[in-house]
Amino acid sequence: MDMKVKGSKELLTEVIDTGLCTLCGACAGSCPYLVSYKGRIVLLDNCTLSEGQCYQYCPRTYTDMDAISQQVLGMPYSSAELGITKEVLMARSTDANIKGRAQYGGTVTAILSLALEEGLVDGAILTRMSDDKTPSAFLARSRKEILQGAGSNYMACPVLEVLNHIPKDSTERMGVVAMPCQVLALSKMRNEPPQNRINIGNVKLVVGLFCTWALSLNGFHQFLLENLDLPRVIKFDIPPPPANRFDAYTSSGKISFPLDEIRKFIMPACTYCLDMTSEFADISVGSVEGIEGWNTVIVRTDVGADLMKMAKKKGKLEVNTLPPGNLAHLKEASLLKKKRALKEIIAKSGDRKNLLYVGLQESIIDNLLA
Amino acid sequence: MAGIGIDAPGTTELLIGNEAIARGALEAGIGFAAAYPGTPSTEIMESLASVAKKMNFYAEWSVNEKVALESAAGASFAGIRAIAAMKQNGVSVASDFLANIVMSGIGAGLVLVCCDDPSAISSSNEQDTRNIAKWLDIPLLEPGTFQEAKDMTKWAFDLAEELDTICIIRSVTRIAHARGNVKLGELPRKEHKAHFDNICPVAPTLTKFIPYPSAWLHQQLHVKLDKAREVFESSPFNWYTGPEEAELLIITCGSCWLYSLEAVKTLNLENKVGILKLGTIWPLPQKLIEKHLSKSPKILVVEEIDPFLEGSIKEMIADLPPASPHPTFYGKHSGHINAYGELNPNMVIGATARIMDITYESRPAEYSKKAAEIPFTYMPLRIMTFCPGCPHRATFWAIKNALRLDGRDGFVTGDIGCYSMAIGPAGFFQERTMYCMGAGAGVANGLGKLAQFGFNQPVLAVCGDSTFFHATIPALINGVYNHSNFTLVILDNSATAMTGFQPHPGTGITAMGETTRVVDIEDLCHSLGVQVDVCDPFDLENATATLLKMIAENGGPRVVIMRRECELVRARREKKPLYKVHVDPDKCLGEACGCNRLCTSAFSCPGLIWDKDAGKAKIDEVICAGCGICADICPQEAIIKEAV
Repeated sequence: MDMKVKGSKELLTEVIDTGLCTLCGACAGSCPYLVSYKGRIVLLDNCTLSEGQCYQYCPRTYTDMDAISQQVLGMPYSSAELGITKEVLMARSTDANIKGRAQYGGTVTAILSLALEEGLVDGAILTRMSDDKTPSAFLARSRKEILQGAGSNYMACPVLEVLNHIPKDSTERMGVVAMPCQVLALSKMRNEPPQNRINIGNVKLVVGLFCTWALSLNGFHQFLLENLDLPRVIKFDIPPPPANRFDAYTSSGKISFPLDEIRKFIMPACTYCLDMTSEFADISVGSVEGIEGWNTVIVRTDVGADLMKMAKKKGKLEVNTLPPGNLAHLKEASLLKKKRALKEIIAKSGDRKNLLYVGLQESIIDNLLA
Repeated sequence: MAGIGIDAPGTTELLIGNEAIARGALEAGIGFAAAYPGTPSTEIMESLASVAKKMNFYAEWSVNEKVALESAAGASFAGIRAIAAMKQNGVSVASDFLANIVMSGIGAGLVLVCCDDPSAISSSNEQDTRNIAKWLDIPLLEPGTFQEAKDMTKWAFDLAEELDTICIIRSVTRIAHARGNVKLGELPRKEHKAHFDNICPVAPTLTKFIPYPSAWLHQQLHVKLDKAREVFESSPFNWYTGPEEAELLIITCGSCWLYSLEAVKTLNLENKVGILKLGTIWPLPQKLIEKHLSKSPKILVVEEIDPFLEGSIKEMIADLPPASPHPTFYGKHSGHINAYGELNPNMVIGATARIMDITYESRPAEYSKKAAEIPFTYMPLRIMTFCPGCPHRATFWAIKNALRLDGRDGFVTGDIGCYSMAIGPAGFFQERTMYCMGAGAGVANGLGKLAQFGFNQPVLAVCGDSTFFHATIPALINGVYNHSNFTLVILDNSATAMTGFQPHPGTGITAMGETTRVVDIEDLCHSLGVQVDVCDPFDLENATATLLKMIAENGGPRVVIMRRECELVRARREKKPLYKVHVDPDKCLGEACGCNRLCTSAFSCPGLIWDKDAGKAKIDEVICAGCGICADICPQEAIIKEAV
């Protein structure tokens, strides 16, 4: 494993060209050379620097998991299935307006709105669906704008490019809703703050999403175009197992596709991802298997805990215990993702000692591979 | 240029070769002049157009060289002496008409002036027009001095009328652009009267201006050439200097004559080496040459570009009786003279010294070595680039970004004009093919039809506005007709900028300075039913988005007009920059990650300089044109533009 920070040239050869890029957007927009465009990271001009932030903060270049964990969560990387947690519970928004638009329980929208109301953040970076049903990241500064971010379309979106565009001298405090790869990139930034561009200290809240995989824009959007009247689509959903379906809700009803038809559009990079539950976020949010209209919520940091407490107190969230069966199942799924990813990584590198980007203690690796 | 119209016979003016040629045309009493700009020929028309109104004749910048020659022929057919001027590439454009007009006669004197460009200093090839004269049976004269440039041009009109065929004056850069004394002659005071004669004396159903029957006319043309050869035998434009019996005879023409003179003088060989300077190049004065061949055992042919004289003289020798003397030839075939590029006195000295077995060192080897090194020590390294403020830099920046974003390995086919710089760093190496005028769109037509062979790379053809009118329109129509998949980007800077801002059909001004109807590129493209978008290349975001949109389309050609006036034209007119530009050093990231001096390492406008000591970008206030585009490139907003 090469632990050295390198430049954009190596970012291309080691990450992008090898199918490791998750399209998180951490490399894009922080300089004029790298941008994202229609589901790809594009190098517009050749940058000659031998070390760059693009390579440094990429979640698929070498990452010292202990150092990151120490910085964000105050202790080294945990071998627990769900990472370091303060509390795992289930929640849903009490706001009918939010619930009507949300993917599941509307928890993310509710806590972001609260963070904004309470002045914890001045804005939040989220993803919304454009009219053509492609995802686009944006900076929401009002409750109304935050609501636009509700719902998912399962496509990878370079959210962190928007963050990189915020001027360094901005004093706006930010929340970010991020996928596990994006949470990892943010954590790398928090661990070694970028010098020339964004002020990472302004990121006050990271809400991580659960993620099994994301779909690549190019193939999947073409699939949608060919199979659906996109302007009429209201919402997409992949219900928890054992549904094994991809559902599109349109103005004239639900259209379902077998999940296997969709799987071919999974980002190749997702195969090598260990993290299902955004282990370095302040709060991680996902669905609850078998209980519709609720979210699983993992509280990881003090910031996350305070916000949850306030949400409960102000009646923004209805909170409940996650049934033990669900918790067990969640852990099992999370562990499975780690094991599978590690095996894929070793298969790719061809060397058990070379885990590409994963900097973990031998003992943890041995446990996961056992 | 004021000199060419002076009505003072017998006085001497300092003229460049092109002005001398123009003066010759005036002394010949031309009523009509047509040209398309092209270095090194441009000043012929510029100087003629500047006096046309005053001197009561007509001058025009034509849409291309073929039309220029055809227009001039039209005037000739109606009894008006006419001249057409162009560079060597232009003769190729006009060659179809040229190959046909030789089959007929002419009306009044008709002269084609062609300026060749040895070493292709301002060209994409170094075509030798003398071969065209031989190929198409056209009498051709080549001046070796500035006085000759004027005198020969004047005489060429008489010759054309005497022979009843078009004549060519061939000149090269060192005659066209160098300056020398020219003794002026009389300016005729003749009133021009134009009339097209509908009746042919030999065949009443035809006019004289239909090349039919061609084979018979071809034979007649040979009779004309025989007559020309006879006239040339005693022409004062051919002369010999040197001893009666020379050890070595140099046969030369044009500017090489001066190099030969210098060589012989430098080597002190005046008593041993003779020089036969030829001014009537085609057909060659056979008897004159044969006479000199018999007086020297060795012949060195000194000429630029092709071995035209060398080959033609060797052909002559093959026809001589077997007992004739057979001198040894030196020249391009023997390797004594380069068969490419310009010559200079040193090269001729070297060849002569080698043949005469003389050791000659123009300067000590040590000195030469030092001289070769010095430029790299003291001179700043300069690359071919766009002018500061040039809209093309922004256009190619947008093209580069659009092609990279599109990600299908798209590329640009181009041709010749200022935008040819895009083959190098100035245009971010975007132009990947570069041939003659209009070839960008022509080549794109073929590439755009290769989908059946798995080709899916986007093709962008570029042309300038003047080039669009010159030769791109047929290629665009072909694309429409044959449904070829490409995007044509017309770089409309409202001038023929490369050759010095001559007006063209899109500018609304004629060569004589009169306003005229503007041929609207956009309307013209619309009339072909193609999708047309107009962008300001300085609106980089919109320009890039428009290109991306057009590239993504399929089917027949699309047109993007990148419209922004040439900065030099704007600056000449408005006499002040648009913006005052400066760099805020506190904001400039310099070489740090996040910028890595994009402005000076990638965008590379010559108005931007890298202050190595400070580690910051700076504006070179002397060079900066104040266009302000770099402010939009800077990721830090460290480049600040303030409206002037």
